Amino acid sequence: MTQALNASVDLAVCKGHGRCYMTAPEIFDCDDAGFPLVIGTATTEQQISDLQRAVNNCPEQAVSVSPAG
Amino acid sequence: MTDVKDASSPEIQRDFDIHSPDDVEGVYDTYAAMRSGCPVAHSPRYGGHFVATRYDDIHDVLRNPGTYSSRTINVPDSIGQDGEMIPIQIDPPDHSTYRGIINPLFSPKRMRELEPQIRAIATELLDTMLAEKKVDFVDAFAREFPSQVFLALMGWDLSDAPRLNEWTDTMVLGKPGASEEENEAVREQAGMEVYAYFAQMIDDRMENGGDAEDITQILINSTFEGRELTQFEILNILLLFMIGGLHTVQGQLAHTVIYMAEHPEVRRQLVGDLDLVPTAVEEMLRYESAVCPAREVTEDTVLNGVQLRSGDKILIPFAAANRDPEKFEDPDVVDLTREPNPHLAFGAGNHRCVGSHLARLELRVAFEEIHKRMPDYRLDPADPPVRHLSQVKGVVSLPLIIGESL
Ligand code: HEM
Ligand code: SF4
Repeated sequence: MTQALNASVDLAVCKGHGRCYMTAPEIFDCDDAGFPLVIGTATTEQQISDLQRAVNNCPEQAVSVSPAG
Repeated sequence: MTDVKDASSPEIQRDFDIHSPDDVEGVYDTYAAMRSGCPVAHSPRYGGHFVATRYDDIHDVLRNPGTYSSRTINVPDSIGQDGEMIPIQIDPPDHSTYRGIINPLFSPKRMRELEPQIRAIATELLDTMLAEKKVDFVDAFAREFPSQVFLALMGWDLSDAPRLNEWTDTMVLGKPGASEEENEAVREQAGMEVYAYFAQMIDDRMENGGDAEDITQILINSTFEGRELTQFEILNILLLFMIGGLHTVQGQLAHTVIYMAEHPEVRRQLVGDLDLVPTAVEEMLRYESAVCPAREVTEDTVLNGVQLRSGDKILIPFAAANRDPEKFEDPDVVDLTREPNPHLAFGAGNHRCVGSHLARLELRVAFEEIHKRMPDYRLDPADPPVRHLSQVKGVVSLPLIIGESL
């Protein structure tokens, strides 16, 4: 069983590129100005790999993950 | 600190001209040579300026607007604007107030609602284009598509597109081959005509009203810390939407079609699986990153071993950042499924392209509709495409033969 992951966004660093909610739509949504909202925990393989891609594709390095407890 | 170089160090001098008509095809080699020899180089052009070519250095510049101000965004300094283009030439804290007004205009949600309208503009242009066997893709589609979308967003007449395109071309490119003075004069003239046109659109709206939801009206209704925006501010916001939103998308579409015409195996991969479009859009943005802004140094600082002084100018070509082998494996190869791809085609930091959600949507719709309807196309061997450098690298003409492949 893969470890479930929580996502968090450092909103001081995030500039609203939207790569996170494009790559991991089940984990992130966006607000009316285009900034991300965390809406879920990554539990399935697909969600975990999407979340990992969101971390790696964010041009501001604003997304981080931690084990969901 | 004996090893810190500065503007006069001979080993960092490179005669790099961002506006040179001769360098366009070899520019990635030029960037690669600078990156491996002197990643922060100095050019004597336009009064002297630095050029950064590493991803990490460019990223540092973007993320420190206090040290690297965007009040100077162009070399030479003016493209014909009167006052500052908003918000690109505005530094924090006012920058964030303007962005607070502008971000919602181009939010992903608002853009998503526009998709059917954008798709209709694309398909209509493509239907006309596909009636021919030989076309100029820039004239038939790449230039027209983003300008019609822009006019639709503004709530203005779509038939004004040719005028907008001409002004934008002049302001971005100047008059190729002309002297610096002559260039300045034609840009100023174009600038004045654009302001007059925008002012007329705003006046008309104030008198006659219109769609409460379009961008013109939202800007008229917006407030900056409690006061209404002045007409001067609105004009300089609109000018930047035009400069930022037309040439960029046009270039991106045309660069992509050139690449796909020349690489039928990559094109067939895309045609065969249109689900690849979102990552293909990102990869082509990385591979051909058109924008090369400048920054003005506000306090003495050292960037990657080079001393910069207050008042110095530095160019940060995103095309150089996005081909940096330290950041991207095989950077000169197109991989439609590239992962990860944290490219800087839309910049980063506080000036991150506010139109990026719109641009991505336009590019996605265009990539899909083009490759759905036009699986085969090739360049015309007798009439090759013409690109130009400048601070927004673009394509002037792109003769295309439809229905044939390399
Ligand atoms: C493929 C298309 C596009 C590309 C590659 C692109 C690229 C960029 C880049 C790199 C920047 C940051 C410049 C800097 O940091 O100095 C920027 C800023 C900007 N772009 Fe775009 N852009 C595109 C489309 C658009 C569109 C469609 C609009 C529509 C309005 C737009 C409006 C703007 C504005 C207003 C800014 C200034 C943001 C600020 O200063 O806060 N862009 N763009
Ligand atoms: S990709 Fe990064 S910068 Fe962009 S919205 Fe997501 S967290 Fe913010």
